[in-house]
Order: sequence, then C-alpha cells, then structure tokens
Amino acid sequence: MFFHIVLERNMQLHPRHFGRNLRENLVSKLMKDVEGTCSGRHGFVVAITGIENIGKGLIRDGTGFVTFPVKYQCVVFRPFKGEILEAVVTMVNKMGFFAEAGPVQIFVSNHLIPDDMEFQSGDVPNYTTSDGSVKIQKDSEVRLKIIGTRVDATEIFCIGTIKDDFLGVINDPSAA
Amino acid sequence: MSLATNSPAHSSSSDDFAAFLAVDLDSHSSDSSPDEETEGDNNAESERIKRRKVEKLENSEDIVHEVEEQSLEVLSKQQLCSHPGSFGNMCIICGQRLDEESGVTFGYIHKELRLNNDEINRMRNKEMKELLQRKKLILVLDLDHTLLNSTELRYLTVEEEYLRSQTDSLEDVTKGGSLFLLNSVHTMTKLRPFVHSFLKEASKLFEMYIYTMGERRYAFEMAKLLDPKKEYFSSKVISRDDGTQKHQKGLDVVLGKESAVLILDDTENAWTKHKENLILMERYHFFASSCRQFGFNCKSLSELKNDESETDGALTTILKVLKQVHHIFFNEVSGDLVDRDVRQVLKTVRAKVLEGCKVVFSRVFPTKFQAENHHLWKMVEQLGGTCSTELDQSVTHVVSTDAGTEKSRWALKEKKFLVHPRWIEASNYFWKRQVEENFTVEQTKVEQTKKQ
Repeated sequence: MFFHIVLERNMQLHPRHFGRNLRENLVSKLMKDVEGTCSGRHGFVVAITGIENIGKGLIRDGTGFVTFPVKYQCVVFRPFKGEILEAVVTMVNKMGFFAEAGPVQIFVSNHLIPDDMEFQSGDVPNYTTSDGSVKIQKDSEVRLKIIGTRVDATEIFCIGTIKDDFLGVINDPSAA
Repeated sequence: MSLATNSPAHSSSSDDFAAFLAVDLDSHSSDSSPDEETEGDNNAESERIKRRKVEKLENSEDIVHEVEEQSLEVLSKQQLCSHPGSFGNMCIICGQRLDEESGVTFGYIHKELRLNNDEINRMRNKEMKELLQRKKLILVLDLDHTLLNSTELRYLTVEEEYLRSQTDSLEDVTKGGSLFLLNSVHTMTKLRPFVHSFLKEASKLFEMYIYTMGERRYAFEMAKLLDPKKEYFSSKVISRDDGTQKHQKGLDVVLGKESAVLILDDTENAWTKHKENLILMERYHFFASSCRQFGFNCKSLSELKNDESETDGALTTILKVLKQVHHIFFNEVSGDLVDRDVRQVLKTVRAKVLEGCKVVFSRVFPTKFQAENHHLWKMVEQLGGTCSTELDQSVTHVVSTDAGTEKSRWALKEKKFLVHPRWIEASNYFWKRQVEENFTVEQTKVEQTKKQ
C-alpha cells in the first residue's frame, strides 16, 4: 500500500555547502540519502514530494558540521499481510517463482501455486495448467496475496500466494 | 458471526491488525535514539497500556471473540505447517517469521532462500521423475581447468603478452570466440577447445549445473562466456559462497538425486563424498601461470602458441563417454527408471577400459609402500585391469619408469608391453586403452645408468 506521509530527519551538512544554495543542497542531499531506503515502520521511501519545514541549524562542536532537522513529505510503499499486489515475475524454478513489485521481492513457493499448475523446465521454465491455457513465466504479471513480510534496511521480502480465488496471471507476455 | 470469521477479507484485516501492532511495537523497541534509557522506560509503559487496552477490549466487546478465534485458527495453521523452507526468514508456506536458521541455503537461486532436508528430498524426487521422463540426467561441471583456463592479468608472462592483442571482443561470445579479456574481474580467460559444441551436445542429454570454487562474480562472468544466451545454466551456477562445507564441493545444494548425477571435475579431492559420480578430467593448462601453479616447468600452451586439439581433446573424449553412459542408463539397464543408478553404469563403463590387462609394477611405488593402496594400483583395478606383484606368462604389461629393472628387462625379453605409468593415467583420462607405443620407457636412461 502507498502512503503519503510526513517524516523528519536530522541532516548533517558540511560547511562548504553553506551560502545561498544551502536549502537546495540540503534537499538534494536529503533525496540522495532517503529515497530508495527502507524502514521497518514505514516501508520503502519511493519519492520525496515536498519539504514541510527546515528547522534551525545546530553547529556541531569540533567538526563544523551543522545539523538541520528537516520535515518532509514523501510517498512510502509498505506491503501488508493479506494485501493483494500486482507483481512482475522475475524468475521461475521448480521451487516456485520470484516476483517483484517495485522494490519488493516476493517469493511464491510451489506449495502456494494452484495444484493444477505444473512446473515445466526448458528454455523458458514456467508453470502451466494441464490444458495449457494459463502460463506463468518470466515477465508474466501476476496478482498475488501477501502472507508474510520482512523489511530490511534496503530490501523488503514477502511471501506470496496465488492459491486463492481471483489470483494468478493477469497478463501473459507470450500471448502478447 | 461465524460467517464473518470465515470470510477471507476479515481474516486478513485482523491479521493485519496483529501484524501492524507487532511492527509498531518492534519499531518502538528497535528505535535507537540518544537518550535510550528514558525511551526504554516509555516503551515499557506504552506496552503496558496497550496490553491493558487489549484486555479491556476482550472483556467488553465481541469483536474480541473474532480476534481470538482468528488467532486460534492461525495457531492451528502454524502447528500444522512444517515450515519446509524459508525466504527472508519467513516460512515459504505460512509466512510466519522463523527465528532459527535451519536447512541448506540455496544462495545461487536467491540469497534469502533456504530449504529443509525433507523439502529438498521432496523436490529431488519430483524432479527426478520429470527428468527421467525427458530422458535426462544431471551433469555438474567444474569451470577452471575443466571447461576453461583463466589467469590473472598480472601473472601474464612476457611471452604471453601477444595474447592481449588477440582477445575476442565480448560480443563475439556467440560467434565462437575463445580468448577473452575480462577487466571487471582482472582475468584473461581461454575457453577449452570444443567447449561450445560440448555444451550444446551435453545439454540434450543432461540438466547442467556449474559448480566452481571461484567467487560468485567470477562464476557468473564465466557462465556468461560459456552460455551467452542463458540456455544451459539459468540460475544453476553454484560458486564457493554457496557450498555448505569449506574447500569441499557437495551435491547437497544440487537439486538432483545422487543416483542420477555425473560430475566433471579436475580435482578429485574436492568431491570426497561423491567420488563415484566423478569423471576426472585432465587439467587444461593454457596459461603459464596455471602450469606453474601445478608445478610444471614446461612451456605452456600459450607460450608455444598451441592449443588442445578440437577433434580429440579431453572434452571430445568425455562427451563420448557421457553419451555412452547416458545410452546405457536409459536403454540397457533393466528395472524401473527411478531405481537405476548412474554410478553403477559409470563403474561398468570404466571397468571396460583396461579389461584383460594384467599389470605388474616395477619401481613405481616406494619400497615400504603397501602396493594395494597406491592410487595407480587402484586406478588399474577401477579400469578393469588386474594387478600383480609376481611375473608370469599371464602378465600383459609391465609399468615402470626405468627400463633397466629386472622386471622391465623381463618384459622386453618376453615381448610384453613395457609402459610408463603415464599410460595408466592417460587411459584413465581418455577412457580408452592407450596405444602402448606412445608410452615407451626411455632406453637412453638405461645406457646412462649402465655407464655410471
């Protein structure tokens, strides 16, 4: 799920960045530092959309660095248990398949793939129904349900399932 | 009420609720701030308050019933789930967090993927049936000295500098280039002659894995050279980082039953547990640094501007053996496919190489050495020959490094073959009884010793 929230961060800035571009420097450093990172609480920071407030700087003893408390708005993405996600399949093997939804890596084990889908190895490994009408292979788009999540410093891992109603392939690259 | 509990939407939302609570609590406790002590106190307090809230809820409202039932349901589910493996420390079936790390890591598929032994066995059995139906076996290939030879750029000798101008560009991989300069891993790599055709042919009969003692990055670079179109080794490249034991290669990370796996490697010691699956390869030394590493003082192929033969090099020979083993496994062995054992087939094929040869060794082993334990003795027996310490008319070969010994002279007199120990090794590598005339023991030496 995406959220638009306000977060706060103390930014340390080197004195060489001071001057009339201070604010710009601060913001670009913030983007560099924050975008693309994860936190267990908020999930993946997709993008900073605006700056709410930059507080008064505090000079650090000894180093000359200045710390600014910065409040910023950002879009975060955090998967939840039970959430339905659409993801792109990145790898298919006999253990199941891996899929990605943005920064989130999802593994769907073969236990959680409907029983009528069988693994087919070969040049393009895939899971196919017995009548061949549905096929999951690399680059397929699937709709899946999250049943477990773990958020690391830079990565989010999820366990997903497609063994439920209305889940599975939503677009087949080989058919297109 | 009961309807509500069964609906998936509900279950997920309450799961959510629980998860959210858990995460919230987690993040509170894990937040590190400068004044941690007070924070910790706050935390404990807030937790207490939360707990109280939950209790209140339980007492008053019947939503709580639902939550309880749900958690019971979740509990029973968890008890049923055997957690056959984990991805990012979560069970791959129920999604529950698993704290203890168990099972084998399959880092070459995904760094977070682990499977328990039961699950691995289940996969293996399933895989086997499907493989055998397609008439395929599994082949594990080593990289260095087996399929290719690499050298670090700084070890290039003066005589090898000419190679720098002869490297094929990386785009030529698909066109059959064989010498590559890889700046990213600081190596120059020479593919063994015939390797492309070898892989193409072998891929029809085998599911192939790469298993190298090199680092993962190097392994992937090499895989790109050998398999530019990713037809053969997609997510089946195993490197040093993926093994379960140091300095050892094991089949535990290979998803195949041991009875259907063949291994091609130049280092026997790496596979102590799976010697029966191993087809030992003659080492491919192209670069001088590689020769020196193994203690050869001769000129390397690169310095001689030479190379292994494309038509009867080691890979060509081994491909024939592989085809033969495959043919026997599927067409000549009786019994159920699943019960057949490729190790037995390999053994019988190997035992035909020196069939009918009776070998006597002369001054090959140190005097006090138990002859039966010498690797050459064992090798001859594995190749189907017999060994003896006594000379008699049934002896066909005398193996010696010196033509002056008593037994050697006997062999010359009785018109038996007098061969160098290399004859055995060569027969072992080429899976064929070698022409004895190419392995004669030098006479000049004898004259010299006589003079002395």
